[in-house]
Amino acid sequence: MTLKTKSHWVDYTIFGLSVFLVFCLIFDSFLELPVLVAWLGRWHPVLLHFPIVLLLGAILISLTNKNVPYPLLTLACITALITAISGFFLGTEVSAKGDLLLWHQWLGAGVALLSALWFWLDKIKLGQEMYTKGLQVLLIVLIGFTGHYGGMVTHGEDFLALPSSKKQEKIPENPLIYKHVVNRILENNCVSCHNPNKQKGELLMTNLKEILKGGESGNILIPGNPKESEMIMRLHLSPEDEEHMPPEGKRPLDQTEIRILERWIALGASDTLRLDALEKGEPLVALVKELMEPDPMDKWAALPKVADSTIMNLSSDYLSIKRIASHSDALKINVFLSPEHDPKSITDLHRIANNIVELDLSALPIGSKEMEMISSCVHLEWLEIDRTPITDNDVDKLKDLTKLSLLKIYGTNIGDKSISVFKGLQNLKSLYLWKTGITQGSLDELKKAKPNLLIDNGIKEDVNAFFVDTDTIQKDLKTE
Amino acid sequence: MEKDKTNAENPLKVNRRHFFSQLSVGIGSLALGSLLIPDLFKGGGVKELTDMPLGIPHFAPKAKRVIYLFQAGAPSQLETFDHKPTLRKRMGEDLPESVRNGQRLTGMTSGQDKFPLMPPMVKFNQHGNSGAWVSDFFPHIAKIADDICIVRSMHTEAINHDPAITFFQTGSQISGRPSMGSWMSYGLGSENKNLPSFVVLTSRGKGNSQGLYSKLWSSGFLDSKHQGVLLRSGKDPVLYLNDPDGISRSDKRHLLDHVSSLNKLHHVETGDDEIESRIAQYEMAYRMQMSVPDVMDVSKEPESIVKLYGEDCQVPGTYAANALQARRLAENGVRFIQLYHQGWDQHGNLHNEMAGQAKDVDQASAALVLDLKQRGMLEDTLVIWGGEFGRSNYCQGKFDPANYGRDHHPRAFSIWMAGGGIKPGLNYGKTDEFGYNIIENPVHINDFHATLMHTLGLDHEQLTYKYQGRRFRLTDVAGNVIKDLLA
Repeated sequence: MTLKTKSHWVDYTIFGLSVFLVFCLIFDSFLELPVLVAWLGRWHPVLLHFPIVLLLGAILISLTNKNVPYPLLTLACITALITAISGFFLGTEVSAKGDLLLWHQWLGAGVALLSALWFWLDKIKLGQEMYTKGLQVLLIVLIGFTGHYGGMVTHGEDFLALPSSKKQEKIPENPLIYKHVVNRILENNCVSCHNPNKQKGELLMTNLKEILKGGESGNILIPGNPKESEMIMRLHLSPEDEEHMPPEGKRPLDQTEIRILERWIALGASDTLRLDALEKGEPLVALVKELMEPDPMDKWAALPKVADSTIMNLSSDYLSIKRIASHSDALKINVFLSPEHDPKSITDLHRIANNIVELDLSALPIGSKEMEMISSCVHLEWLEIDRTPITDNDVDKLKDLTKLSLLKIYGTNIGDKSISVFKGLQNLKSLYLWKTGITQGSLDELKKAKPNLLIDNGIKEDVNAFFVDTDTIQKDLKTE
Repeated sequence: MEKDKTNAENPLKVNRRHFFSQLSVGIGSLALGSLLIPDLFKGGGVKELTDMPLGIPHFAPKAKRVIYLFQAGAPSQLETFDHKPTLRKRMGEDLPESVRNGQRLTGMTSGQDKFPLMPPMVKFNQHGNSGAWVSDFFPHIAKIADDICIVRSMHTEAINHDPAITFFQTGSQISGRPSMGSWMSYGLGSENKNLPSFVVLTSRGKGNSQGLYSKLWSSGFLDSKHQGVLLRSGKDPVLYLNDPDGISRSDKRHLLDHVSSLNKLHHVETGDDEIESRIAQYEMAYRMQMSVPDVMDVSKEPESIVKLYGEDCQVPGTYAANALQARRLAENGVRFIQLYHQGWDQHGNLHNEMAGQAKDVDQASAALVLDLKQRGMLEDTLVIWGGEFGRSNYCQGKFDPANYGRDHHPRAFSIWMAGGGIKPGLNYGKTDEFGYNIIENPVHINDFHATLMHTLGLDHEQLTYKYQGRRFRLTDVAGNVIKDLLA
């Protein structure tokens, strides 16, 4: 008897809540919630756990052909409706609902209303019919999607994306400062909270128009004035500060990132500015180039492993082998002239030839055997063979060192024949040729063929003459 | 390869405290390891210290060595690189209190009732494509304006020579910390095992001088093998390096072998790491007997080079000779070559004294940069020129344009750098029209250290040494890499 009256109340409640939910959804844009009611929406993140567990539990029981206990289904249904309504209240806090939020809202409403339908079907003893089962399966799917969209709203769209190696798209040549650089920094650090689905502080940072519009505390960016721009000021606060951005628990921006944002704002926060258009001395150029440059450690990552013991065995007091950086297999070798110089110590290096990236054999009596070893160092980028007795024939052995970017070969007897080898070295950037037999004509030819190559042929004559003529040092200088 | 110092204690030296701390770490790491979540407790992406073996840069470096041309006594920025026409316009006027703004003064001028503004008596001109202002005291440095990066916005806290120079060299005004050369030797190891990785050369001009003490190149709490080695001018560059009469090189070898075996015994007994250092130093001294005379012998330098540095580079002990020496040491794999030129403390008779000081260093400093450049060494050698602070824009004592002096000034001064991954032809930082306060891009000494370490491939926050219960860094708890300076 008591059960009967109670169940009436339950029926009315569920019916009432359902109607209210539908009403909310229909008159969404006309609703103005009292503050206290809106506050109820804040309980949504707590409440939502109940219907998920209760509904899934009920469905599980039902699908195994058992009768669902009446209190369980009732509770599941009521919490589903309350959760949906509270979610709707919470949603009104956002001024414009993004796609994710809309999907979440409609799916959530779907879950609540379908569970109400199931409650009714169960009540009229149709709980074990096939279509009810179908409805239950549909509910599982809906709960899954609702939860997933809800998760994306809170934690960001890629929260559940598989952990990737974070290989970011390469910045193109001559990038647009805003689109390719600034936007990327914002994407990485700010957009997870300031997007249409979350809009923390009523601020959107997904495009320049929205950034310039600002958020609830007004403008965040004043073009030309980084110091007064709120977004920059907040980056500079101490990380413990409430106002610091990004908030506690997220990675603060590094110096380069902050500096790029500052310079971009100082230059007017334009979205059409390109790297090429910047003046040469502008700090932004170097900052952007730093981002564009691939980390040298990456290009060495594929080098074969080399053991510390191998390095120890091949080193001596006059031959130092060092890793270019920690955890890198790229090696840098310096050889100094020992009183008992043995060419074998150099030719032995062929064992690690693939790892040698920098090699300094300056002022050593090297010949064709050593050059043979050098030619096998296919990853060589930096070679110093200045002040050695090498000849044009030896230089010929360098022609396959395609990675070579710096060559010091001054103070040698090489001549014009070597020019063709230099021309063929694709990656050569700096060439030091002072005091060689190379003639001016050949140099000009090389300059023409490789305009970007830095060729150093000693101190400029006029500068040198100035130094020789104006010896300002006092002749009568006495020292202690 | 060197071991991490923090773990390299002798097993005999384990005490109760070590035992418990090691034990707890052991149990803790077992528990952690079983979780198999590598980054769980690292927080904020801080790299493990033990991840960074010593003697190898943390990341690919731009510079491999440093030549620091220290102008001891603090040359005036207003007579070198910071051109301030306002001082001439307002010559003799009192420095407005709003500009001085409570700056602490030294005892030498704090009693003055007036601070009359004093313009430089030397002319300034713009040079190179960079349009850098350089005074006529430095005609040769003016010629390399496009190869150097002038920083006009250095600042420090110290107002007297000793704390200021100690701050520059060790990162702390109070002495006792390792010198920056020692830090670099500790962090990067040596390139040539036959020479010390940190070498010091001193010279002295006729100007008013302040003392130089060996504490400036001391290794502090770091292993003493990182200590700077002072090379003297003349016959005996390193004292007591040569064998006494009647002792042959093979006798010396026998002696060293025997001493070393005794030392090793002692080391096993006591576990004192300094013994190992000492053994290594004896061995290096033995090899230095061969390498040092060779490096120091400038007579092989061709005449064109002698002319470039100035004839004085053949007079041992001059700045020019040291500059040439610095290049030879750099070529031979010395990591950190520290020159000091004394005599820049112009409290009076500034114009004449500075003219003399400038003559000492101008040509050789510029020649060094040009010489390194033609050898391709500017690609990986960082040259630094500068003093420990700046000088006041008002005149010390009585106002007399014919014979004026300047007091110490910490709030703004100029230095220049060249090569080693620093942007050439850059004029960085700005001071106000009085040359008193920085109005753009200040660079603190800690920032300077951090930037210098960055060019050498070292993260200034990662290169630490644990001493007396805490980890020390050259930059201690401050310093930012000034990326704008990097090429």
